[in-house]
Amino acid sequence: MNGHSDREEMMSLVAAYALGSLPASEHRRVSAFMLTDAEARAEFDALRPAADAIGFAAEEPVDSARSARMKERLMATVRAEAASAKITPIGAARSASGARPGLLMGVGLAAAAAAVFAFVSIIQNFSLRSDLANANMRANTLQTQIAANALVQNRDRQMVADLFAPDAQHYAVADGEIIRHGQHLYLALKKLPPLPKGKVYQAWTLAKDAKAVAPSVTFSPSSTGVAVVALPENADGLAAVALSVEPEGGSKAPTSKPAFIRQLT
Amino acid sequence: MRPSVSGGSALNYRGLSAIRANPRHVEDGARLMERLRERDTVAFESLYDGYHRLVFGIALRVLGDATMAEDLTQSVFLKLWSAPDAFRVGNFGAWLSRVTRNRALDVLRSRAVRSEDEISADIAVEGTVDDVVFARLDSQTVRAALAALPEEQRMPIEMGFFGGSTHEEIARRTGVPLGTIKTRIRTGLRRLRAELEGVVSL
Repeated sequence: MNGHSDREEMMSLVAAYALGSLPASEHRRVSAFMLTDAEARAEFDALRPAADAIGFAAEEPVDSARSARMKERLMATVRAEAASAKITPIGAARSASGARPGLLMGVGLAAAAAAVFAFVSIIQNFSLRSDLANANMRANTLQTQIAANALVQNRDRQMVADLFAPDAQHYAVADGEIIRHGQHLYLALKKLPPLPKGKVYQAWTLAKDAKAVAPSVTFSPSSTGVAVVALPENADGLAAVALSVEPEGGSKAPTSKPAFIRQLT
Repeated sequence: MRPSVSGGSALNYRGLSAIRANPRHVEDGARLMERLRERDTVAFESLYDGYHRLVFGIALRVLGDATMAEDLTQSVFLKLWSAPDAFRVGNFGAWLSRVTRNRALDVLRSRAVRSEDEISADIAVEGTVDDVVFARLDSQTVRAALAALPEEQRMPIEMGFFGGSTHEEIARRTGVPLGTIKTRIRTGLRRLRAELEGVVSL
């Protein structure tokens, strides 16, 4: 194969490269080829945005229970880690060692060798410490996640027990009901209208002595409009529950007309 | 070490620069990742709220199993938290999409014995990119643009992106000559780009 046909062959692979569908061996060849061929690079620059956009086609609404479960686990993990993990800033120690080359200037070969040896040792030591710190962090993350998973499983079991308890109280609302069992409170809703982009449903609670509602959880229903959501508030202290559509992330006070307001009496 | 073509100049999206910025996909993601470096859990929550549908959707599309997709989604977000420096510059949505797709393909490959060598993980989505490219790209826009492609072009593109198939595998599975598959991927991506430009310029 001559140089011209080689180039044609490489050019024919640039699109598959942008898509990420080349075997590793060909991927490396095309990668090297593009470093030296401006036309190939331009082709890649033109096609990559389109290839990168494809992932957005898969974006889907996530079932509200699944979404809430994932979020609860993740937030439990990151909050625990943020509160506890204090890793020594290895980078700072590494920066300090940056002054070491200056020490090598003007000294004898033996001293230089010793300095180099010391430098390498320090770097290796830092590297090991960094690896150890990372391993510890991973272990902490896993332990926290395991604990969070257990917590979520227990809550899921509790939820099922509450929802189907014979002595649970049911308060009818549009498109579903509010279910109370002991101090636990749940929204069980169906046929909720689909949400506009960037919006979520938000629950509100009114305490018995309060004059204004307080924000509670936000959620998105499943694609069929179903949502079963546990409210974190103690049901004993509540007089009413409401639901409204709010911007993603929730609001401090309702910004839209409530879908329902239900007194718990 | 995986090859990267990003270290040099001008990986850019200027050809699509007419697209206006979408705060969720462009500005917010990069800014929230900055805050993650400060261990800001509120920023993490916002990232989850803004991007979990994208991550879960890609994972589900690649893996075809909701439980595995859920595990992968959590894994991806924990990775964002534990290694926020992995994202350096560029379009966060594009980067996250690629990261998720590649992680999902890694999981898929770990379950399957393949006769051919693995495809490379990725082209690094970094470097000097024009962040406006993903401006108004959302799932509906991209789905519509993909749907506008002829089936013969859309199929190999989706097999390559979501299925992790190499162009040779696509040729074998579809019974279409390898050269034709290469041409269809190339033509399809060009047309997809044109469709996206057409949509956003309206």
